[in-house]
Amino acid sequence: MSPILAISGLGKQFGGVTALAGVDLAVEEGEILGVVGPNGSGKTTLFNVVTGVHKPSGGTVLFRGRDITGLAPHAISRAGIGYTFQQAMAFAGLGVLENVQIAGEHRRAGGAANPWPTPQALLDFVGLSALGGEKAGVLPFGSLRLLGLALALATRPSLLLLDEPAAGLNDRETSALVGLVRQLPGHGITVCVIDHDMKLMQMLCRRLAVLDFGSKIADGPTEKVLADPKVLDVYLGGDL
Amino acid sequence: MKTGNALRSLLPVLVILALIAAVPLFSPSNRFLSLAISAGTNVIALYGLSVLFGQTGILSMGHAALVGVGAYAAAILARDFGVGFWTALPVAALASAVFAMIVGIPSLRVGGHHFVIMTFAFGQLLAIVLTNGGDYTGAATGLDIAGPVTLFGADMSDLTRYYLMVVAFVTAAAVASWAIIHSSYGRTLRAIRENEKLAASLGINVGRHKIGAFVVSGVFAGISGVLLAYFLGHISPSQFSSFPSIYLALMVMIGGARLIEGPLAGGILVAFLPEVLNLDPVQSRIVYGVCLIAVIMLLPDGLIGGIVRALRVAFSGKPKQEAERDAAPSEARQ
Repeated sequence: MSPILAISGLGKQFGGVTALAGVDLAVEEGEILGVVGPNGSGKTTLFNVVTGVHKPSGGTVLFRGRDITGLAPHAISRAGIGYTFQQAMAFAGLGVLENVQIAGEHRRAGGAANPWPTPQALLDFVGLSALGGEKAGVLPFGSLRLLGLALALATRPSLLLLDEPAAGLNDRETSALVGLVRQLPGHGITVCVIDHDMKLMQMLCRRLAVLDFGSKIADGPTEKVLADPKVLDVYLGGDL
Repeated sequence: MKTGNALRSLLPVLVILALIAAVPLFSPSNRFLSLAISAGTNVIALYGLSVLFGQTGILSMGHAALVGVGAYAAAILARDFGVGFWTALPVAALASAVFAMIVGIPSLRVGGHHFVIMTFAFGQLLAIVLTNGGDYTGAATGLDIAGPVTLFGADMSDLTRYYLMVVAFVTAAAVASWAIIHSSYGRTLRAIRENEKLAASLGINVGRHKIGAFVVSGVFAGISGVLLAYFLGHISPSQFSSFPSIYLALMVMIGGARLIEGPLAGGILVAFLPEVLNLDPVQSRIVYGVCLIAVIMLLPDGLIGGIVRALRVAFSGKPKQEAERDAAPSEARQ
C-alpha cells in the first residue's frame, strides 16, 4: 500500500542555516508515527513545511499521491491534513463551542467521515462539553490543548499532525491525551506526532523516525530505534 | 434559542433608532437635523468599519477615502450620465467596493500596523488625485451635485424627509452589520481577528477573507458617500482626506467596534459633543484626543462595552469573571 504522506528530499534553509537537509519520510495509512529528535533538529520545521507555513527550499510532499508541496496552509488543511501547534492554540476571545464551530465550517466538501458529526460531539470526545459556553481564553492549559485537538479534528482530516501535543501537560492530562490519540487510527485518522518526550512516544508509537541536524538518522520500529547506538549517541547522550 | 439570543441583541438598536426616527415630532431645529443627517451618514460608514475593525481586527485609517469614492461616483454619474440618486446608490457602492479591493490586495499582504499606514497613504493619494483631477473631479473646489432625491414620487430633499431616509439607511446598515456578526461569515472574520495562523490551519483563506471584509466595509462607505453627497449638494477632496478618516476610526473606537450599538453611539457622540459642550473646532479636537486616549486606556470595548460591563457589575456584582475573560486573550496571545 502506498503511504498516505510521502516526503522526499525535503529541504529548508533559513538564510545560511539548513533546517532540513533532504528528509525522506513515509507515513503509512492507519499508523501513529513518532518523529523525535533533540531541540533544533528540524522537527517543527518539517511540520511547518508540510503544512504550508513555510515554503520548502527543495523536495516534494505527496499526500495520497497528490503533490501538495508549497500549497498555502488553508489549502493543505482542506486537502485533509489537520495539525495542532506547539503553543496550545485556540481563538482565545471566542467561546469554546464557537471555536469548534468555526473549525468545522471550512473543511473540504465530503471530508473523511468521522464519529463526531457536530461540534458538541467533538467536545464530548475530548471531554470539554461542560465548558462549551466558556471563553477559550479562560481554559486551563491542559484543556486548551484538548480544545486544539478538537479544532484539528473538526476539519475532518485523514492525516493529523501533532506538534508536541503533551508539552506542558501533567501526567494525568498526558495519559488522557494518549487515550484520545490512540483511538484516532480506528476512526480512519492517521497520526504523525513530534515530541522529544520519549515516555510519551513509547506509549503512542510503534514506529519512530529520528531527526538530527535536519537529517533523518533512524526510522523503524520503536524498540529497534531506541536501541540504535547512533540514536542513543546523538539524541539521548548514550543513556537510556 | 440561539437565534432568539441573537435577535435580542438587535432589539436595543432598533428601539433607539425608532426613538431617533421620532425626533422630528418634536420639531427640532434645522441645525439639529443637519448635524443628525451628517452623523447618520457617518454611522453607515461606521457599521462597515465595525465589520472590518471590530470583527476582523483590521483598522483602516483611510476610510473616508472610500466614502469619497462613493460621493464622487454619485456626483460624476449625475453630471455625465444624468443618473439619479437611486441608480447611483448601487453603482457608487460597487465603485467603493472595487476601490477597497484595489487598495486591499496590496495592502493586506502586509500585516497589522503596516496596513494602517497603507490605508492612510491611499487615503491621502485619493485626495491628491481628486485635487489634481482638473475639471473632471473639479480640482480643489470639488463638484456640485444637484438634483432632487425622490422616493415613490415624493421629493425627499426636504430636511425632515431626508433625515428620516438617512435613519432608514442607518437601520439597514445596523441590521446588515448585525446579520454579518451573527453569520458563519462573521465567525470566520472573528477567527481571523483572534489568530490568523490557527484560522489558516483550519482551512480559512485568511488573505481572501481580509480583503473581503475590506470590500464589505467599502460597500457601506460607498452608500454613506452617496447620501452625504446628495445631502451637502457639494463635495470637495478635503472632506475625504486624512482628518475625516481619523475621525471615523475615532468614532468607531469611542463607540465600541464589536457591539452593534457601538457605531451608533460613536457617530452620535462625536457629532453632537462639540454642540452640547459648545466647543470651537480646536477645542473639540483636543476633547476628541483626550476621549480617544481615555477609551483606549480605560474602555477597550468602547463606551458601549464599558457601559454594558458597568451595568453587569451593578446588577450581578460579579466583575471578576468578566475581568478574567478580558485579560485572558491578551495573555494567550503572547
